[in-house]
Amino acid sequence: MSTVIEFESVYRAYWENRPVLSGVSFRVSQGEVVGLLGRNGAGKTTLMRLAMGLLFPQAGSVRVFGLSPTEEPLAVKKRVGYVAEDQALPPEARVEEIIRFHRFLFPEWDMELERQLLERFSIDMNAKIRTLSKGEARRVALLCAVCHRPELLILDEPAGGLDPSVRREFLETVIQLLNREGTAILFSSHQMNDVERIASRVVLLDGGRVRLDEDMESLREGFCVAMVPCGAAPDVRTLERMPGCLRVRRSFDDWHAVFRRPPEVVSAELRQALGEDGIRCIRVPLEDLFVEMLGEKR
Amino acid sequence: MQLYVNPADEVPIFRQLVRQITEAIAGRRLAPGEKLPSHRELAVQLVIAPMTVKRVYDELEELGYLETQRGRGTFVREVLPEPCLADQNEQAMATARLLLSQAYLGGMKFADVLKLLKQADREVMEGRPPKEES
Repeated sequence: MSTVIEFESVYRAYWENRPVLSGVSFRVSQGEVVGLLGRNGAGKTTLMRLAMGLLFPQAGSVRVFGLSPTEEPLAVKKRVGYVAEDQALPPEARVEEIIRFHRFLFPEWDMELERQLLERFSIDMNAKIRTLSKGEARRVALLCAVCHRPELLILDEPAGGLDPSVRREFLETVIQLLNREGTAILFSSHQMNDVERIASRVVLLDGGRVRLDEDMESLREGFCVAMVPCGAAPDVRTLERMPGCLRVRRSFDDWHAVFRRPPEVVSAELRQALGEDGIRCIRVPLEDLFVEMLGEKR
Repeated sequence: MQLYVNPADEVPIFRQLVRQITEAIAGRRLAPGEKLPSHRELAVQLVIAPMTVKRVYDELEELGYLETQRGRGTFVREVLPEPCLADQNEQAMATARLLLSQAYLGGMKFADVLKLLKQADREVMEGRPPKEES
C-alpha cells in the first residue's frame, strides 16, 4: 500500500514553548480510513491544516503523496478534498455559484457524481449560502470536496453540530466513496459510534503526541479495561507495572486500568497477582476506551 | 436474513456480524446455496466500512460456511464443513459443563438453564430482535 500522508516528528506551537504538537509521527496509506481522536485542543485540526498546507510545521516534516503541501500546494490540493470544521463559504453567494467555481478549479470534476449528490441532498441551487441551515451548508461543502474524485479526503469533525439524520447521510456518502474508489480518509470526530462504523484505524492524540495508533480490530479485540477494587490493590503502581498496562485511573472505589492485551489473559494474571476478589476485565467500545485513556485521573 | 449492528456494543461490529451470519446459517434462515449481498451493498445497507464486511466474509469463508465464486458473488456453501463428531462432542460437553457451573454458581437451577437454552434456540432459529443503539 502506498503512503498518502506522512507526518514525521511534527512540531507546531502557536505560542512560544507551548506546543500543540510535539513530535507527532504516523502515516495514512491508500484506502485506509483513519479516525483521529483526542480531547478538545489535542491538535487534531492543527494536524489536518498541516496536511492541507494551511500551516507549516516548525520542526519535522509533512508529506502528502510524497510532496510538501506548503511547497507544492497545487499539486497536492488537486488530489485532496477537505471539509474544515468551520467551513466558511461566502454568505452572499448562491449554491450554484459555489459549485460552478469548484468545477472551474478542478478539471476532473465528475458531473454525474455532482448530479447524484444534489439529488440525494435535495439542495436548492438558487439559495444563498446565508439562508442555508448548518446541515445544508455542510452538504454543499462535502459536495465541493468530493466531486473531483480526490484520492484523499480530510474531514474535520464532519458530524460536529449536525443532527443524526444529516450525520447518517454524511456517513452514507463517505461509504459510497469508499466503495467506488478506495479513497483514503483522515477524519476527526467526537462521535465514537461513527468512528466504530467507518474507521479501519484509530490514532489517539494526547499531550501533543500520538498515544495510540491501532487497527480498529486489534483495538476492539486485543484491548481491555480491568476494574479492580482499590482494596485489592492498595498501591496503584502494582497495576501500572503489569505487562501491557497503558493507564490507570480511579473511578470511585475502583481502579480502571487499560491494557493492551485481551481480557482473558489480563484477568488470569490479575487474579494470580491480587487474588480473586471482584476483578472484572472486559472489552469496551471506543467511547469507554476514550474515557479510560483520557479521562480525569481523580 | 436481517442483520443489525450496534457500534456501542461491547462486541465489535466485525464479531457481531460473524455471529449473526453464523447463527442464520445454523438456523437455516440462510439456506445452502443462497446468495449474500455483495460486501459493498451490505456496507451501504448497514452504514459501515466496506472493508469490515469484506473481512467478515473472508473469515466465514475460512471457517467453511461461505464461498466466493469469481464474478458471481458470495454464497452459503452447498456442503457445510462436516463435523468431526468425536471432537465436536468433547467440545460441546466442555461448553455444557462450563455453562452449568456458571449457572449453578449464580444460583440458577437446571430448569432455569433449560429455559435459557430454549430461548437461545429460538434466537438462533428465528433471528434475534435488534438491539437498540444508544
